[in-house]
Amino acid sequence: MERTRWIFIGILVVVLLIIGVSVVARIVTGGNAPAEAELVLVAPDTITVRVLTALPVEPWVRDAATAYNATNPTLNGVPIKVEITPMDGLTALGRWDRNDFGALEAGKTLENLTEAEKAALKNFPTVWIPDSRYLVELANASYKERLGRDVFLTDGEYRARPIAISLFTWGIYESRAAVLEQNFGGVSWNIIHDAAVARGGWPELGGDPSWGFFKLVVPNPNKNAGGLTAMVAAAGEYYKRTDISVADFTDPQFQAWLRELMGSVTDFSSASAYTAEDFALFGYSVGDGGQLLESDLLQNMQGILTRWDDPLKIYYPQYVTWFEFPFTIWVGPETSALEKNAALEFQRFLLSEDQQKAALAYGLRPTNPNVPLDATAESLFVKWKDRGVELVVPRSDAMRNPDREVLLALLRWFQLNVAN
Amino acid sequence: MSNELSAKQRTALTIGVIGIVVVCLCVIVAAWAGQSVWDNLRARSGVTSTGPSGWDSAAAEVTVAVSPGMAATLAQLAEQFNAQARKTPDGSLMLVRTLSVVPENMVEQSLANPPFQAIAPDSSLWLNQLDRRWVEKQNAVEGETLIPIGNRRFGDPVRYAASPVVIAAWESVARGLGWPEHDIGWKDIQQQATADATFKWNHPSTGHASGLLATLAEFYAGAGLTRGLTEEAATAQTTLDYVRAVEATVRFYGEGEDVIVRRLAAEGRNFLDAFVAQEQVVIAWNQAQSGERLVAIYPAEGTLWADHPLALLELGMPGEAPITDNQRRTYQAFVDYLISAEVQKQLLGVGYRPADLDVRLDGTGSPFTGDAVDWRQPQTTLQIPPASVVEVVQNVWWYTKRPTNVYLVVDVSGSMQGSPIELTRAALHAFVDQIRGDRDQVGLITFASNVNLVRPLQPVSEAGRAELHGAIDGLIASGNTALIDGVWTAHTELATNGNPEAINAIVVMTDGRENSSRQSLSSLQRRLQQTQDFPIVIFTIAFGSDADEKLMQSMAEMGGGQYRRADETDIEDLYKIISTYF
Repeated sequence: MERTRWIFIGILVVVLLIIGVSVVARIVTGGNAPAEAELVLVAPDTITVRVLTALPVEPWVRDAATAYNATNPTLNGVPIKVEITPMDGLTALGRWDRNDFGALEAGKTLENLTEAEKAALKNFPTVWIPDSRYLVELANASYKERLGRDVFLTDGEYRARPIAISLFTWGIYESRAAVLEQNFGGVSWNIIHDAAVARGGWPELGGDPSWGFFKLVVPNPNKNAGGLTAMVAAAGEYYKRTDISVADFTDPQFQAWLRELMGSVTDFSSASAYTAEDFALFGYSVGDGGQLLESDLLQNMQGILTRWDDPLKIYYPQYVTWFEFPFTIWVGPETSALEKNAALEFQRFLLSEDQQKAALAYGLRPTNPNVPLDATAESLFVKWKDRGVELVVPRSDAMRNPDREVLLALLRWFQLNVAN
Repeated sequence: MSNELSAKQRTALTIGVIGIVVVCLCVIVAAWAGQSVWDNLRARSGVTSTGPSGWDSAAAEVTVAVSPGMAATLAQLAEQFNAQARKTPDGSLMLVRTLSVVPENMVEQSLANPPFQAIAPDSSLWLNQLDRRWVEKQNAVEGETLIPIGNRRFGDPVRYAASPVVIAAWESVARGLGWPEHDIGWKDIQQQATADATFKWNHPSTGHASGLLATLAEFYAGAGLTRGLTEEAATAQTTLDYVRAVEATVRFYGEGEDVIVRRLAAEGRNFLDAFVAQEQVVIAWNQAQSGERLVAIYPAEGTLWADHPLALLELGMPGEAPITDNQRRTYQAFVDYLISAEVQKQLLGVGYRPADLDVRLDGTGSPFTGDAVDWRQPQTTLQIPPASVVEVVQNVWWYTKRPTNVYLVVDVSGSMQGSPIELTRAALHAFVDQIRGDRDQVGLITFASNVNLVRPLQPVSEAGRAELHGAIDGLIASGNTALIDGVWTAHTELATNGNPEAINAIVVMTDGRENSSRQSLSSLQRRLQQTQDFPIVIFTIAFGSDADEKLMQSMAEMGGGQYRRADETDIEDLYKIISTYF
């Protein structure tokens, strides 16, 4: 045989040896294909449904998740596990907007990601339960600019479905409410504004001098979506309309009125995301009253009675705003089809009659029409009836949800005029 | 020569090409297999990836920076938590450690690479400042975001206790002011202090919530407001004059209520008539001490709450190790522990108002059942201005507080050679940087075998500060230790060139023993007694283990100041702390 052929055969043998040894080494070490990649190809051990939950419904949703996990649910034979992360709706919107959760760029799929990129998606939310549907629309608008499509669907199988409702109501310490009722005939944004600008404080309003100035409680819009909603409700009453535009909010006269109103808030800086809890913990020392979520007030009613010397009274405003807590499934490629379908299973559980009844114990109004507000003995609507809570909301005007431009105008105004 | 290749050449070329392709293939396959083997070896050896700095990716230990007033309580709770030996799902031990940090410094340190993962300042005011500064920092890097929310340095804070800020006064003093029949306000205290030269009161520095509140209250009173304090109102000349007059009555500044309480315990009833502190301090004092009790005066104009938030920092910026999953688990478990019924009752027992609203304040055995404190109070709070106005108040305070004349008396004897003198230089630089009042003066005296007046008192202007820094850089260690002569010289200089309206003080540091002075301790004592109408406060620092602690303690007592120990790890912090007294 020629020398060159021997060389050729020699090279072939060496190559085959190297390949053989490499394959054996790969098999022995088991390879290092990451778990995330395997999830794409084979059924996972567990389907994890990660739920980003607005704060007012978080205690109920968390308890529901515990109850759901305890039923050992499965999908296609794979166990489902629901995990809850509490986050204020506006805070979450800010994070969606900045893409803090790491949604993929247009055209990218799980298959063409690096291992590090796949690992970064480990905690990507499967479900978002914000306070209100308008937050979903704003997140969609943000992603439409970036990806050219919606990431939360508003129709079809994965559409956002409200899981409970809570209205914004006035909560006023009874002694203070009695003075306002007696001298001003009730509680409204206009009356609160008059109280807020009274230079002589409570003595001028007919109250106890030790109460100091009238102190309004409004959630800090930077920490609690309710702060924005309160400003929308105030605008509704100011203009006596349910539909508020950017032009309304930028009107100098309205801004002066709103600034005076917000000027009676004692402390935006220390306000946490849990405004009603603050209201209960610090009592009348930080706020005589304010417009807060009905469920938050009902959940903290007992605490206020235990901690302070004056009970709270609830009043319903003329211009009503509310949160409906839509259960919203992320439809992008960051989560698997199994995860999306498992989320739907948990959604059905939350909407079941048992869980809707359980919501009553958290002061939430069920979306399931078959569940009346006094359906259970634990219902806070029954427990706090003498504090002014109404099963049927008195005749009122429902405010329209703000659009993106109104929201941004309000936030900027707050940053420039109140927060700083 | 033919252009066509011979058969032999063609064969060689073919083999060459095939060889190159095959070698490339080998390299690729070997790299693929090699990566697998390497990863496997790494996994078997237990090597884990580490962040840019700090801790490994499986770390389960969390360090919480806590305000000094709460530090002892939280350290004890952390110890109880650690004793439970809880574990993360991967078997790591959950550990919580605490670190006492002044809230103002906590904000500063939290902005980049902090030596802690969670913060527990005394008030949410500091979280608000951190929020503001973080957003400013991020906007400077990334530009403003469309939705200006959610970009925070820390996760949602949790409150585990609360306590309103009150004026703590001896019962006899409070009764003299009209307690409990009449409402007493900040103005009453301020009037009492300006009208009666013997009335001794104090508030902590503005680096603590209670000090900041007391200062805010002065600004409100000076501006004739109880809400709506603006930058213009805070900086109006009439406001500044009022605040300056009130601040001139403050016995001394510095640190938090924990230090005030320690000094009260050490120096007795006559040390102060009243001081600003959390309500909890009143309860804790009455529980621990016999004799006349303290009572809480809830200021009529309103007060502020120390609301004790706890928050996990969202670390992970470039150059920072991110918070690990295990650290999040440890943090959450610690939070759950703090808000558990057991711990909430424990916090009630030491005088805090528990965050758990199910815990009654007026129940049997509650420390709130007497009349020294009143759970129905406060009726109202002062309005906290926006963060920008608070910052103005903090800065303006430097120009309204009592002026300070302070001599830094520094040991440069031979024993200070090497790292002690280097660390001392850094500590002195930090001290000079902390002094910000435009009427404050600092001088520098060194002592070894002899005393050297390096820099006489001079205002800490931009130029003055630069000169001081230059003089500090020039310190060289050699010779013996004429400690008492050093203090004697500083005292002579202050008595000659000081200002009785100002705080006149000496901060003296040594790492050794007196062996070269002409003056004696007794002669220094006689001199201090002779000049009592011109009080000069002496702070002493014993640096290292060889310092004459007894002598330093005696000098601090004679000078009505404080004695502190320091080592190489905390000398700089100690000088910073002492600077808050001026």
